[in-house]
Amino acid sequence: MASAVQNSNPTILNVADLPTRLGPAALSKAGTDRVGTLASIFPPSAYSLDCWPTGYSSSDASDEEDVTEEPIDEQEIYDLISSISDPEHPISLGALAVVSLPDIAIKPTLPEVPESVLRTVSVLITPTITHCSLATVIGLGVRVRLEQSLPPRFRVDVRIKEGSHSTAEEVNKQLADKERVAAALENGTLMGVIAKMLETCQ
Amino acid sequence: MTPAQPAQPTYQIHALSTLDPPSLERTWQTAPHPRLPIVATCSSDKTIRIYSLTNFRLLSTITGGHKRSVRTAAWKPHVEGESVLATGSFDATAGIWRRWDNYLPTSQAAELLANTDEVAEGSNEAATAAHRPTQTLDHEDDEEDEEEWRFAVLLDGHDSEVKSVAWSPSGMLLATCSRDKSIWIWEDLDDGDNNFETVAVMQEHEGDVKCVAWHPREECLVSGSYDDTIRVWREDLDDWGQVACLRGHGGTVWGVAFEGVAHGSGAGEDGEEEKVAVMRVWKEQEQVQFRALSGPRILSCSDDRSVRVWRRLPKEVDARGAGNMPSIIRPTGLDEHWEEEATLPPVHDLAVYSVAWSSRTGLIASVGADGRIVVYEERFVAKDAQAMETDASLPDEQQRPPKQPLTEWVVVAVLVGAHGIYEINHVAWAKRADRGRDTTKEEEILITTADDGSVKVWTVGK
Repeated sequence: MASAVQNSNPTILNVADLPTRLGPAALSKAGTDRVGTLASIFPPSAYSLDCWPTGYSSSDASDEEDVTEEPIDEQEIYDLISSISDPEHPISLGALAVVSLPDIAIKPTLPEVPESVLRTVSVLITPTITHCSLATVIGLGVRVRLEQSLPPRFRVDVRIKEGSHSTAEEVNKQLADKERVAAALENGTLMGVIAKMLETCQ
Repeated sequence: MTPAQPAQPTYQIHALSTLDPPSLERTWQTAPHPRLPIVATCSSDKTIRIYSLTNFRLLSTITGGHKRSVRTAAWKPHVEGESVLATGSFDATAGIWRRWDNYLPTSQAAELLANTDEVAEGSNEAATAAHRPTQTLDHEDDEEDEEEWRFAVLLDGHDSEVKSVAWSPSGMLLATCSRDKSIWIWEDLDDGDNNFETVAVMQEHEGDVKCVAWHPREECLVSGSYDDTIRVWREDLDDWGQVACLRGHGGTVWGVAFEGVAHGSGAGEDGEEEKVAVMRVWKEQEQVQFRALSGPRILSCSDDRSVRVWRRLPKEVDARGAGNMPSIIRPTGLDEHWEEEATLPPVHDLAVYSVAWSSRTGLIASVGADGRIVVYEERFVAKDAQAMETDASLPDEQQRPPKQPLTEWVVVAVLVGAHGIYEINHVAWAKRADRGRDTTKEEEILITTADDGSVKVWTVGK
């Protein structure tokens, strides 16, 4: 299993084949896997298959039209968050299709103020099961990752994709609450979980 | 959403100064002192900083009291010779801090204290407290006083982050609220031992209680919550209870405030003839009476991007059966009926985090995640003739409350990007005290605080 680090396809295939059945023993290896590699071999969707291997050169991602204007584009956002590990499984959110490129959008925050440099990054996350109690933690992980990585002119809006979660509204309200997020960042236990999820990022 | 620019902006928001040096982390709130030209700021770096409003420099930093972000602070009113500050933190506690009022440069202090050799050193403070003169402060640059803030007591009771603290108008009661959905009311026993007694714990809110504010005269509290409601609380025979629940906001209520008492009578003070004339007409009608019966209004702002004004229905109207209530006197007799009087013109593109209602000018200011400062003015709508007629025919209209005030709210100033790219967390009005002020009249400043820790001071003028 240790050879997974060396991009051995069959080994990774085995790991990825059994995402929900991975025991705690496998968890310890999560941090050593190159998640990008994982995802490149097991793209969560046909769309991602197109854009993953190209990494940062997103010029061939035909769905993205304004990449020339924005130094930070959807592909880069995807790269930042797809490598986050699922809190339950040592699999990346990208590989689990919890986050996917079509569900990321960057828009001007204040459309009526053309000179404003503020941009809102919207990320819709799709929890693996509709009752996933960890949806809030995943959402928080995504928000923390983006807030720590992006320049402050970016506003981060993380939501559960409509219809994918039984208590989406509740989770969304929590994720959008700046004060709650700020307080969560000071909660040692919660941040321990988040830190573990973010270990696999770069 | 309507255009961000007001149709006829009649005021300008000018940057006066920043408070320096700033905190380098998010600043949540500022609390201007009720008497002195100083302001307390609450920072995510767990400190409270006290700045001068005469020279905008840091006077002292209170550290070591809270284990997590300081979210909120409020000065106890009606304390002479001493300043008492309540703070609330994400560490689930509220702190009480005390300091003798002696922010003076050494020379000036020496002059004022020429007759008394006693210098406040904090060692003998209890004994000298009653005899300390109330000092006039206009200048200070002494940064050596840091240790003089005395930690008095920690109010422990909430289960999670304290979001807001507020002193009652008398200074006897302190309200605190938390993510634990509760509001606590504490009585300051003022027994010299810093004892506080828990008077009430109200748990009706169904979500985090984000903010509390007191009625300007009465022991009546208003709160705003994550459950999207605003609730009004009063004491009835030793029991504090909810007397009204105001629904309407479509998101978390981030801020609430009561209308100041001074406003209303002094609205025509700047001598605008037109305004005075309208005021006269307005006064001749039932409006003043109506307002007097309604009492101070409530101002609120929300995650739904709106700013709203709420008005209590006069008791008389209740008795006549206006609204949905049957005209039966209910057992408690304390229930109040509030209704939305106005939604202010929409300007904000994102959550509105804070609103402030000037008791001097009646102007409302709002700030939020979109980085805008918006100022609104209430204008009297001149409909004299028509208004007079309907006045006479009032009895025809059954169950109609006294005529509603003929006013409208107008956006009079908008500043985009007031703190650059950063979200603005709080806005407050304060009395202007710097050297550049016009000493012939009372001027006001706006103080705003942002995510990058910066605190800015603005003048709002025509």
